[in-house]
Amino acid sequence: MELALLTGLLAAGLRLSMSIGIAALGEAVAQRSGTINVGIEGIMLVGAFLAAYGALTTGSPWGGLALAVLGGMVLAGIQAWFTIVLRTDQIVTGIAFVILGLGLSGFLFRISMGGAPSSLPAFRPLDLGPLTALPLVGPVLFGQNILFYLALVAAFGIWFVMKRTRLGLAIRACGENPAAADAAGIRVNRVRAGCTVFGGAMAALGGAYLAIAQINSFVEDMVVGRGFLAIACVVFGRWHPIGVLLAAITFGLAEAAQIRLQTWVPGVPYQFFLMLPYVLGIAALAAMARSAALPKALGRPFQSHRRR
Amino acid sequence: MSGLALRQGAILALALLVPSLFVMLAGKDPVATWGVLLGYTLGSWDGFSDVLVRAIPLTLLGLGVAVAFRGGIFNIGGEGQLIAGAVLAVAASPLLQGLGWFALPLYLLAGMLGGAAAGGVVGWLRTRYSANEIIVTILMNYVFLQLLTWVIRGPLQEPMGFLPRSFVIGDGLKLGLLDAGSRLHAGLFVAVAAAVVLQVFLTRSAFGFGLDVIGRSAEVARYAGIRPARLVVLGLLLSGALGGLAGAVEIAGVFHRLEDNFAAGLGLSAIAVALMAGLRPALIPFTAILFGIFHVGSGALQRQLSLPFPLVWIVQGVVILAFLAARAVQAQHGRRT
Amino acid sequence: MICRPCASRGLRSPDAAANARAGQLSTPLLAVDGVSRRFPGVLANDEVSLTLQRGEVLGLLGENGAGKSTLMNILAGIVSPDAGEIRVDGRVADLRTPRHAAAAGIGMVHQHFTLIGAMSVCDNLALGERRVGGFLVDRGAIARRAAALARELRIELDLDAQVDALSVGQQQQVEIVKALSGDPAILILDEPTAVLAPEERAGLFDLLARLAAKGTGVVLISHRLEDIMACCDRVVVLRHGRVVGSGAVAGLARDDLIRMVIGDEIVPVERAPAVPGEAVLSVQDLVLHRANGTPAIDGASFTVHRHEIVALCGVEGNGQSELVQIVAGMQSPDGGTIDYRLRGSPLIGPQGVATLRQHGVAHIAEDRLRHAVLGDLSLADNWLLTALFPRALAPHGWLDRAEAARQCTAALRQFDIKARDAMVPLAHLSGGNQQKLVLARELHDEPPLVIAAHPTRGLDARTIAFVQGQLLQARDRGAGVLLLTADLDEVWALADRVMVMSAGRLHGPVPVGSTSRHQVGHWMTGPR
Repeated sequence: MELALLTGLLAAGLRLSMSIGIAALGEAVAQRSGTINVGIEGIMLVGAFLAAYGALTTGSPWGGLALAVLGGMVLAGIQAWFTIVLRTDQIVTGIAFVILGLGLSGFLFRISMGGAPSSLPAFRPLDLGPLTALPLVGPVLFGQNILFYLALVAAFGIWFVMKRTRLGLAIRACGENPAAADAAGIRVNRVRAGCTVFGGAMAALGGAYLAIAQINSFVEDMVVGRGFLAIACVVFGRWHPIGVLLAAITFGLAEAAQIRLQTWVPGVPYQFFLMLPYVLGIAALAAMARSAALPKALGRPFQSHRRR
Repeated sequence: MSGLALRQGAILALALLVPSLFVMLAGKDPVATWGVLLGYTLGSWDGFSDVLVRAIPLTLLGLGVAVAFRGGIFNIGGEGQLIAGAVLAVAASPLLQGLGWFALPLYLLAGMLGGAAAGGVVGWLRTRYSANEIIVTILMNYVFLQLLTWVIRGPLQEPMGFLPRSFVIGDGLKLGLLDAGSRLHAGLFVAVAAAVVLQVFLTRSAFGFGLDVIGRSAEVARYAGIRPARLVVLGLLLSGALGGLAGAVEIAGVFHRLEDNFAAGLGLSAIAVALMAGLRPALIPFTAILFGIFHVGSGALQRQLSLPFPLVWIVQGVVILAFLAARAVQAQHGRRT
Repeated sequence: MICRPCASRGLRSPDAAANARAGQLSTPLLAVDGVSRRFPGVLANDEVSLTLQRGEVLGLLGENGAGKSTLMNILAGIVSPDAGEIRVDGRVADLRTPRHAAAAGIGMVHQHFTLIGAMSVCDNLALGERRVGGFLVDRGAIARRAAALARELRIELDLDAQVDALSVGQQQQVEIVKALSGDPAILILDEPTAVLAPEERAGLFDLLARLAAKGTGVVLISHRLEDIMACCDRVVVLRHGRVVGSGAVAGLARDDLIRMVIGDEIVPVERAPAVPGEAVLSVQDLVLHRANGTPAIDGASFTVHRHEIVALCGVEGNGQSELVQIVAGMQSPDGGTIDYRLRGSPLIGPQGVATLRQHGVAHIAEDRLRHAVLGDLSLADNWLLTALFPRALAPHGWLDRAEAARQCTAALRQFDIKARDAMVPLAHLSGGNQQKLVLARELHDEPPLVIAAHPTRGLDARTIAFVQGQLLQARDRGAGVLLLTADLDEVWALADRVMVMSAGRLHGPVPVGSTSRHQVGHWMTGPR
């Protein structure tokens, strides 16, 4: 394969991976604490809209980013209240938020912007001078936008926190054995709520990435299942931040390849290539599920027996 | 007791309030909005017949969701199974020409087979590979969506070859209109019949009981001699078949051909329909009508008041959350007494 | 009767012994004063008062349901008392949360370990750290402290091992080190010997004696007389939530203690000698491997005949539960044969549950709530549960709910089960009544083979007598009963033959008359 083609493929693959990757990082943390959030698809949609809206009104992508994070935290906060305080079923509540996110993003989009914005203040790919000029490695690793690098930093940060800090210990305990964590004095539901809100913020960030770093526009239902692919990434990556990112990169490469495959293999209808990331997700789940290092208390609400 | 009623009243009030807030955000009067919505859907035959038309696939798909959820299987892939059924039914329709009375039932059967196959794949992945069916079914929805996009531009496309839609199915396969002035079609009978049959089947048969057991505990099921894996696969086959039937009926009664996005939004709504009916087949037609009201009403609101259609999703999301909250509050109350 | 390790007493300081004898003369390390706690329907603790001196090992003795767990939960800060006071070193202690209890100087070792299997020993110890600590987990400090403790207590600790991979005895040691990391003045252990093998038990008692010698006050909660007498200086006996007796262990006879614990005389179950008939179950060379490759069952062979009860005993974790699961059809073995001769033609080889139930195998499950019943279903539906196979109540695939309700209602009367009718949810019944219903359901068809796993565990004395009577009746009617039990008294009351499982191997079965409790105990503690 020609160098230019390979470079293009890899650079695009990495660029396309981060919307899923960022959302998946957040979901991994939330799941490690024991809560599963199926609704990140909805939160990503809202995040994408808020990022576009914020960027347009403030004239800067950072404004959009801030608004998106805020929105994600609010939505996830409400969801946490349902699943943790009211102890509603996590799956069903998540689906309600997918529907809600679809409605909120579509409705607010139509009453505020009306149509796809022609230009959006966005995060452009960085030009790190000599680094970016390197063959192959240059555009691939050093030519991404700033959110990409921030996501990498976040992944390592999460890994460090989970492995080495008391907070990480508490989070893992809540997901594996909340009764033991409770006995150790950890406020399980508080930790879980915090992780859910964090997951929401990251999901909104993932959506924001789509709107102001990748596609640079907003279209209704532009997330098209990336939120669910993010959940597949969490399983694929064994709930480990680096693994999750690698899984997201795999999906990103699949998406990048799919666009190119359409021109390389003209005989096959393009829809089959569009299916590729989703089929990959299904195959990944089938292959990885058995050996998964699933947090044992995932999905089960917890009630502290203290003071009862 | 009054504490509980108060809380549930508050939940209901919030459920009405939140969408109204968004209506006001769009610069419209909420009271007038509710008036238009209810007036059109319940006050005019045009509106109500459309509500029933929407309620037909919602009922069938909702029944499919209920079957799966009762067994603890989170089948979110209703939309994909619906598409699979519709595609197979339409693809098979040319072969059914000239079969007289048998054509329509065979057509519907083809739809059920398509949906069942889709459901069966999920069942196989879950029992053989322990793949989480929630994500698998959702991802499969997108796969089937692409499949639909392809067939209406490729193998099943109409002879003229301009527009992305399939050929029209034969006259013998179309479900007749019940009222010439509306879109209401004979699929209504299929939906009602399915609800009745499933209500009896799920509550009186050993299969239905086994499904209830595995929905509560796979371990207890094994102790009783029930094999969870077998029931999961059968449950998904049945669930998928109902979804496929919904697709075949929708094409035969409304569209008469495959088109882009003909099934938009049915999948998620069907989940809400099933949940609010407490997974009871007898109640599903009624909750389907409720969600039909939301759907058709939102269309009316867009036409008459220029309120964006996505409002319907906000309403549905809020309704589900209100329902969950009300049930949680009830459970808490029950625990304390 | 001389209590066992007076040898270990030698390790304790003279001051502690003096304190133990002096009692009131010095401020007790721990004073529980008139503590009461009520839960819906039961008064779990009824004005309980006791004291614990420095360097003393106090035993808290009582049957299941006597109130030991509640008292312990109060001391550990998990539950708050309705009335009464708790003083540590003379000062009223604030035990609002486990953190407060730890700050007050009370350390807990729970029966069901609060360890997290998927995490390392070091992580688990870090979890138990009382200090909120800094942002980072200080591995160095944890390692040093753990090493010092391990040296003092003469145990070994591998910080990086995953807790899941350790033996039960080792896990308990981690749990103890975790509890000690906060330097508690008082250490409470809840049924610590339930999961230990006898040689591990001696090690635990030595460890506790060393702790007491350092001045720590130790409270040992147990329902096992032998442990209390082997390890403790004084004992407090609880029954139905009240203190019914206390005193120095040295001065009490075993029979006194038994009488205090059990209370009223329970009429011993009458048993007629039985003549065993043909074999209903014959197991040959059964093998089962665990996930890590070690054998859980290492070649077991035995036979159960009609008109006999064969008891299976062993220390928890030696393979008995798995053996019973295999015979009941819920698990597949890795090797060996199982033949059943029930109604109709013989069944060769391991079978599934459905087939076994169809041919007349009843299974009273070890863990009722997890396996045998569904709490939110009605009694009639629970009755229906095991009638799907043999399809007695579901002919042609359609349920016969009316008949199920009829049979269930008859059973309620016959077995004296306290319930309004057959339509109430099963969760409304007490544990004892639930077990009676399970028994009624399983024995309804007069099955030729009855597998009863710990059928009387956790029940009150009256229900225990009832259940035992039912099993004997089943035997007299011609069934073969495989009884899994940890209670040697139950073995001698019910069984015709007994076999012991130790490290996956079977000793026996031998007729009960030709062996002794001592011999059975010896088999249970065989080399691993």
